[in-house]
Amino acid sequence: MKYRAILVERDSVMLPHLAGALKADADFDLAATYHDAEQALGQSSVFRPNLFLIDVDSPKGLKLLPDFIDFFPNADFLGMMEHWKADTAEKVIQAGALGSIVKPFRTRDILKAMEIYGRRGQKKPTRTMAFFSPKGHSGRTTLASVMALELARKSGESVALIDADLQFGDVSMFFDVVPQHNVVEASHDIRLLNPATLEAYFHPVGQGVWVMGGPVRPEHAELVEADRLIEVVRMAGSLFRYVLVDLPAGFNPISLALAEFADTDILVSMINSGQEVRHMKRSMKMFQMWDAYGKKIYPLFSGVKRCTPEQKKKIEEEFGRSVTKILPEESHITAITGSGRLLKDLPEDMPYVRAVDDMVGEIIAGRR
Amino acid sequence: MEGRRSIVIAVFSTSAGSGKTVTAINLAAGLAKEGYQTCLVDLDLQFGDVMGYLDMVGDVTLADAQAALMRDEASFRIEDYLAEYSCGGVSFSVLPPPKEINDAYLVDVDAVAEIISRMGGFNFIVLDMTAVFSTLNLAMLDMSTVINFMGRSDFLPSVKNYKVGYDTLLRFEYEERKICLVENRAEENDLINYRDVERLLGAKFYHRLPVDSQAVTRSIRMGRPLMFSAPLSPLTQSYWQLVGRYTNRSIAPRQVQEQEVPAEEEKHSGFSWFFKRGKNHAEGQVKG
Ligand SMILES: Nc1ncnc2c1ncn2[C@@H]1O[C@H](COP(=O)(O)OP(=O)(O)OP(=O)(O)O)[C@@H](O)[C@H]1O
Ligand SMILES: [Mg+2]
Repeated sequence: MKYRAILVERDSVMLPHLAGALKADADFDLAATYHDAEQALGQSSVFRPNLFLIDVDSPKGLKLLPDFIDFFPNADFLGMMEHWKADTAEKVIQAGALGSIVKPFRTRDILKAMEIYGRRGQKKPTRTMAFFSPKGHSGRTTLASVMALELARKSGESVALIDADLQFGDVSMFFDVVPQHNVVEASHDIRLLNPATLEAYFHPVGQGVWVMGGPVRPEHAELVEADRLIEVVRMAGSLFRYVLVDLPAGFNPISLALAEFADTDILVSMINSGQEVRHMKRSMKMFQMWDAYGKKIYPLFSGVKRCTPEQKKKIEEEFGRSVTKILPEESHITAITGSGRLLKDLPEDMPYVRAVDDMVGEIIAGRR
Repeated sequence: MEGRRSIVIAVFSTSAGSGKTVTAINLAAGLAKEGYQTCLVDLDLQFGDVMGYLDMVGDVTLADAQAALMRDEASFRIEDYLAEYSCGGVSFSVLPPPKEINDAYLVDVDAVAEIISRMGGFNFIVLDMTAVFSTLNLAMLDMSTVINFMGRSDFLPSVKNYKVGYDTLLRFEYEERKICLVENRAEENDLINYRDVERLLGAKFYHRLPVDSQAVTRSIRMGRPLMFSAPLSPLTQSYWQLVGRYTNRSIAPRQVQEQEVPAEEEKHSGFSWFFKRGKNHAEGQVKG
């Protein structure tokens, strides 16, 4: 397919440079170039363009982007920036564009960007969900993994699961994959990356899910700085419509920073010795502060023996507030995750999966 | 140093829920029963289970001990910050973790090391830890006489973490003979045979604890060590053997009079704890 492109670039050195690249490629038909976004908005319709490349470092370009998208509902939009800026990239997606690319670029970078951003899903803001548990062995990774699969299946959009349980994470094992790269490398390299190059740090497990595994050695965990990891998560938002982060147990610099960053925090504890409700209650104190300013906080209990409304009520009484979901104890799910068969053998009709599915449905519908 | 007279047993693992707390409690109780002065230290600072599993409430904690130590080192007495657990003539001391998560975050590794070195009056110090290589845990492993390193063979990711954890301990140059590999929830028809785990680790198990969920559940519900809540369980017997190994005594399987158990009370908790974000010393990550 041939792209009829409009290039809007305020910089007079950059504009001819980018225009030259587009003219030299037979896949592109450069319809017009503009320095001024407003002028582009007013005049572009005569060229019947199907692709806009808009300088979003310019405040005007960024501001007019929603209007462009309104005027040209059938065209694709890419924001252009000089350096990757997470804030801007998020605004570009919010406006309804495909995503952003870093200047200067070659035409194949445009094609690559269109491909990966197209696969991402709806042109809507990313949902970033952090999975927290007070203690380990809580069913946290199981929930995050099943949710990743169900989100991808139900929405048809792409989902990433990042293993931030940096010392002893099990995500790769649950999916039975050996990723080439891991979260330590991604965090280390992030300032040199853009979405297209970050993509290689994710391992496609299939069915619309990509994972970023944990480090090989626990001591490498120390190399990961929380703010860099957040940059990884934010950039991943350009590649995936849903970014799920499996946190280390308890409160530590990594779990605190990522739980604070995410728009949704899912707290999970497995009912076992009976102490878990108390641990969750204590954890909630921390999360409630964020709850106050719009973050979505969902406490769940897994491993529940008799999964009835009465049981839920009983837990809620002890917990002192409402519980989003209780998940049934299921030895079958342990067998599946323990042997890395999550992808092949997850039965849709299992009560555990149905319970997760319920919640996934609500998330997709925007009700959670 | 004074503390060096005590034997420090670090109960550690690299996968959560592998039975550290249950083991630490039953080791402490068994050692106390054998006549040793024993102190159990709950180093799961944020979400410690020792007090809950023993149904204890204490008013002073490690946080108070640390504050006192920093205020006036000379007059600091660890005895003032210990709770006493007693049941059926067996008693041992417990150092509870901070009550508030925020205080847990502020625990200082050097202070904990100093506090433990002030416990020279005890024959045995048992440390209940978390499943992570934190600065605190590494300092404690350094101080310990033996590392009771626990793992379970009924879940493949746990076996992976056991192997990774063991290799890391060796890489960190903990002596092989200091690390006592203890399998928990051992079952003959385990998904993974313990001999395969031994082959994977390249070392033999020091001890294998059998699974007995009923006994453990009962023990936690009653708030009493297994010797009082499930004296006949094979798990209880296995803990006697483990105590025997650590004391170099052979302890004949025994039966402790089961205590009169009062009607089960609901254990209640009244927490109105507030957590502020603070700089964490104890939970800092490993220096590679
Ligand atoms: N030998 C055993 N047989 C049956 N159940 C056991 C056994 N040991 C422990 N458990 C169960 O496993 C659960 C976890 O045990 P425990 O709390 O001692 O683990 P832990 O290693 O301290 O966990 P954490 O890392 O979360 O602190 C307990 O609720 C207990 O019911
Ligand atoms: Mg424990």
